Amino acid sequence: MARAVVELKGCTREYGALRAVDALDLAVLEGEFLSLLGPSGCGKTTTLNLIAGFVPPTAGRIFIDGEDVTGRPPHLRGLGVVFQSYALFPHLTVFENVAFGLRERRVPAAEVAQRVGEALALVRLEGRERQRPAQLSGGMQQRVALARALVYRPRVLLLDEPLAALDKRLREEMRVELRTIQRTIGITTVFVTHDQAEALGLSDRIAVMQGGRIEQLGAPREIYERPATRFVADFIGASTMLRGRAVSGELVTVTEGVTLRVAAGRALRLGAEVELAIRPERVRLATGPGDNVVEAEIDTLVYQGAQTELTARLVDGQRVRAVVTEPAPVPLALGQRVRLHLAADAFMVIE
Amino acid sequence: MRLLLLPAIAVLAVFAAALTALFRWSLLEFIPGSLVPGGYTLDNFRAVLTPQYLHAVRDTVVLAALTTILTLVASYPVAYALARTPSRAVRSALLVLTLAPFFTGAIVRTYAWVLVLGNTVVTWPVPMLFTERGVLVGLVHFSMPTMILILAAALSHIDPAYERAAASLGARPARVFWRVTLPLSRPGIISGGLIVFAWTLSAFPTPELLGGGKVKMIANVVKDLGLDSFNWPGAAAFAMLALALTLALLTAAGRVTGSRAA
Amino acid sequence: MMLRVTVLLLLAFMTLPTVVVIAVSFNPTAILSFPPAGFSWRWYVNVLTYPQFQRAAWNSLLVTGGAVALALPIGTLAALALERARLRGRALWAAALLSPLVAPGVAAGLGFLILAAALGLLRSRVVLITAHVALVLPFVVRSVWVSVRNLDPALERAAASLGASPRRAFFRVTLPLLRPGLFAALLFAVVVSVNEFVVSLFISNRVTEILPVAMFTYVVNYTDPTIAALSSLFIAATFLVIWLADRFLDLGRVFLQH
Repeated sequence: MARAVVELKGCTREYGALRAVDALDLAVLEGEFLSLLGPSGCGKTTTLNLIAGFVPPTAGRIFIDGEDVTGRPPHLRGLGVVFQSYALFPHLTVFENVAFGLRERRVPAAEVAQRVGEALALVRLEGRERQRPAQLSGGMQQRVALARALVYRPRVLLLDEPLAALDKRLREEMRVELRTIQRTIGITTVFVTHDQAEALGLSDRIAVMQGGRIEQLGAPREIYERPATRFVADFIGASTMLRGRAVSGELVTVTEGVTLRVAAGRALRLGAEVELAIRPERVRLATGPGDNVVEAEIDTLVYQGAQTELTARLVDGQRVRAVVTEPAPVPLALGQRVRLHLAADAFMVIE
Repeated sequence: MRLLLLPAIAVLAVFAAALTALFRWSLLEFIPGSLVPGGYTLDNFRAVLTPQYLHAVRDTVVLAALTTILTLVASYPVAYALARTPSRAVRSALLVLTLAPFFTGAIVRTYAWVLVLGNTVVTWPVPMLFTERGVLVGLVHFSMPTMILILAAALSHIDPAYERAAASLGARPARVFWRVTLPLSRPGIISGGLIVFAWTLSAFPTPELLGGGKVKMIANVVKDLGLDSFNWPGAAAFAMLALALTLALLTAAGRVTGSRAA
Repeated sequence: MMLRVTVLLLLAFMTLPTVVVIAVSFNPTAILSFPPAGFSWRWYVNVLTYPQFQRAAWNSLLVTGGAVALALPIGTLAALALERARLRGRALWAAALLSPLVAPGVAAGLGFLILAAALGLLRSRVVLITAHVALVLPFVVRSVWVSVRNLDPALERAAASLGASPRRAFFRVTLPLLRPGLFAALLFAVVVSVNEFVVSLFISNRVTEILPVAMFTYVVNYTDPTIAALSSLFIAATFLVIWLADRFLDLGRVFLQH
């Protein structure tokens, strides 16, 4: 059982009337890559700032390695932080930037030179020691920021949307590099992002946040396939939400004439109003009528090369999103009537 | 964080104390031959209204007004050149020439005029030194750098596109200036005018040296009463007058420029 | 074309006095004449050997040195507070800090004189230095504030996260990055203090008077070109300072853009 390196217990952070973080409990396990994922204002950056010590909690306590660090200032917490803007010191060279933390720890000069060299090699930026941050590209600056935070082997690495300022391709490259480096060193990492693809691809666990609280905490696959709340289902992936009423333990009437069988792993409450969520990629084009097959009219159609994204309207106006791999089994056109198969076990039930 | 302001506030408090002392003494009675004042009285301010001193106040206002107008006229072309010139070298040169007097100090600048106006360079057809004319020239010269900088800043904020638009609509350069540039620079003219007027009201070295005792402005009266006659209450009254006028004018100037960055 | 001619004439007007002063300073005789009748350094020698000027120069050094040494840290802390602290009525505080510029010199001078008398400090340099600090502070605050505004607060957080205590972060990160503003502040402070005349006239006596006041006393009493020589030295120093400032600071940006 992995032990918790960072623990937040009942942490609240208020700004006047606004509660940025609300009675949060979180444990970050040894060596794991944990992402804090959520939209703007959900409290993920504030949570990071609480861990780092930049901001004190209004209530609650923070522990690192079992020690209560709630009152401890940031420069005594032994953490490494990579900021969204990188915050590289413009008046210092790359070498001096990376060496900064070592100098604060009074590491002797020879060792400093060696460890800075190793850190820069780790992020693949050898040879740039004498340059100033202004002379480097965004991607390079980001790597210097990473090297600077890692060189003194902090207990935990905190990253505040570090890839947000990079263009798409660079971002994807850096994601892979980041994860590789993290795995190589095995450092416990907390990663803040609003990009779900990023969180899904990098993390051991994801904490989906909203309104200062954690909506769901779990492995990526679990978050994606078994969202616990409507918010999570909505935020992760693009789902279709269908409203209906349970008429039996496993049947839901969505609208007149449309009853779907739902295999959600537990019986539904008779008469309960439920929301059924289904991912676009689980919606298939059917060739004929059958179990869980509905009729719909294609409303929008977006060709994407490898696949086509479409929405289709049911009899009662509710829309279903689908992603069809090209070439499609049935010809697709706007206004076309099609049959859609919604597999019973593809539904996520939200009451 | 807020505590960091404390030392500065302490300094300001001392400054405020000095002005408070001034205010208090302007209301105290002057006892000739002694530095110890009497009780509270408005006599000092009444003295301001006596013909002899009223004369000085009136002269001050008139001189300040004339100075302001002449300074405006003389500074505008230089400010325009400074704001509009594309060449960095020319701009640097203009800036250096404009700023140099600022940094040279009042005595040096005024002394220079003592020489020029005192028939050293040319013999003037009419006496210049120790006359109001001479003081006026000195004051204009003194105020030009300030006015140039204020006007140049105002002009540099006017989008050149306006002038180009006017030209494209068929206006000759002179018309463009009168109908577009000048009106748009009005806030700068007003604020510059008010500032120069306010400072000139309190001008001291220029009238003192170039006036030779014959031209008295409010500041000279303060010095005469304060340092020569040791009539501190009397001097304080005049100083308060100058302070009040300056505050009023600069507040007006501040309103004109809106919320200019401090 | 007309503009260029006008501007040149005006610039001539602005610089004529300076030229005359420098020329006269080299005049061999005590009569002020332009163009000078010959060439001589005697007035410069006179300047450098005149006891009252020597004493005044020493006073200027003390007063300006003291005032700047005090005003720089006080003003820097104030600028940091103005930008970073949570203040109600920040604009008012800023206005208050700039207010000494507003008061007429004679008002401030007489006020300080009265205050000094009341405190029994009439012969002391303390009042003089304090007054100079007050007069120089607005320039310092303004210059440093510009630099502080351009400082990214994330940098100080980064320093903290890397293990630097607030004090270390200030000296290793904040202060170095404030250098342009500090340099400008130093420049302004020295120039303003060295040339300060009106207030200093009121609160100094023969023993404590600074250079401009000594010059004033001399001019009122004597008419030889000694002052022309001293003025020329001032002018030369000023041009050097400004030229340096423009090289390093791009004065156009300081004065024309806000």
